[in-house]
Amino acid sequence: MSDPVPTVKFLGLTFNVANDLSILITCLIVLLFVFLLSRHITMKPKGGQNVLEWLVEFTNGIVKGSIKGNDASHFGLFAFSLFLFIFVANQIGLFIHIQVGEYTYVKSPTADPVVTLTLSLMTIALAHYAGIAKNGAKAYFKGYLAPFKLFLPLNLFEQFTNFLTLGLRLFGNIFAGEMLLTLISGLTSSDNWVSYLYSLPVELAWQGFSVFIGSVQAFVFVTLASVYISRQLSPEE
Amino acid sequence: MLSHLIIGASGLYLGDMLFIAISFIILMALIAWVAWNPITKMMGERANKIANDIDTAEKSRKEASDLADQRRDALSHSRTEASGIVAEAKQSGEKQRATIVADAQNEATQYKQSARKDIEQERQDALKNVQSDVADISVQIASKIIKKQLDPEGQQALINSYIEGLGKHESR
Repeated sequence: MSDPVPTVKFLGLTFNVANDLSILITCLIVLLFVFLLSRHITMKPKGGQNVLEWLVEFTNGIVKGSIKGNDASHFGLFAFSLFLFIFVANQIGLFIHIQVGEYTYVKSPTADPVVTLTLSLMTIALAHYAGIAKNGAKAYFKGYLAPFKLFLPLNLFEQFTNFLTLGLRLFGNIFAGEMLLTLISGLTSSDNWVSYLYSLPVELAWQGFSVFIGSVQAFVFVTLASVYISRQLSPEE
Repeated sequence: MLSHLIIGASGLYLGDMLFIAISFIILMALIAWVAWNPITKMMGERANKIANDIDTAEKSRKEASDLADQRRDALSHSRTEASGIVAEAKQSGEKQRATIVADAQNEATQYKQSARKDIEQERQDALKNVQSDVADISVQIASKIIKKQLDPEGQQALINSYIEGLGKHESR
């Protein structure tokens, strides 16, 4: 990630145009996907509705796997959006890689730690907010002293590492996948056509594996998010 | 990488973080509007419908079995009724047969009796005729044989007594 990045300063904030563009494209793809699948919603599902309902059931299953009781229904939409967003973001870099001059404009947004850490920060913040909203501030702060007072620094540190590992795991996997893809494509050179013969199958194989990794990481991210939320909702477990 | 991370978090990409957060929240809202709410509503409705269908199926199954029970009862009832009717008919037929037979028997004995009576009567009549005829004939024969000495009135009693004895001997 030593490549120079195109940045824009606006209102005193620095924007990485590549990230923002990729995120925008990811959002549009996700939105288009659910929009097209949810056009004719009927009691008797068919076609795209089945796919959408399967996805909803899938993410609801992830959420219900760790969050017990009625609370699960509040986080269904979050899990669904998060899963679709991360899934598409993971795959987008495998198919599109737009480079203009020395700047890369479109790639996997999840191959940037800022993006993944923001997502994990949002998740952790949501978890803590849900914990306070459900159990009250007193019980929430008491949770840091469990099982006894000496655990306070450990608990604080655990929350911090939760946030860090959740984001960095996703970033590491996708970044490594993209890095290797770039390396493999770097094996080819236009003046040596034989290089295509061996680099193409390797590239293909690694791309297939990256699709698999991207799907698994989206699943893992959502699973861990619901685990962290459930821990805040019922801290005594 | 870590230095990159720390630099990134400390300000270089703060705009990015805001952008991601806001765009994700907007995406979530749009997904909720476009797909999530309609689809979960429909799924809930379907779950309700299925539950209702199961309930109504259970109910109609119970109704059907009730109806079948009722029909079975009615069938067995009508069967006993029918056998009762048949038994009754048999009984009345038997009775009728008995009365007819008894009537016929009575009639037959009556006929027999009257026939016997008639025969007896006829016999008596015939006997009487024969008695008188025999008396007359014998008187005539006797008068022809012993014409002058015998007056018919004086000998009548004698002849009668003889013939009566003859009739008694005959009827035995």
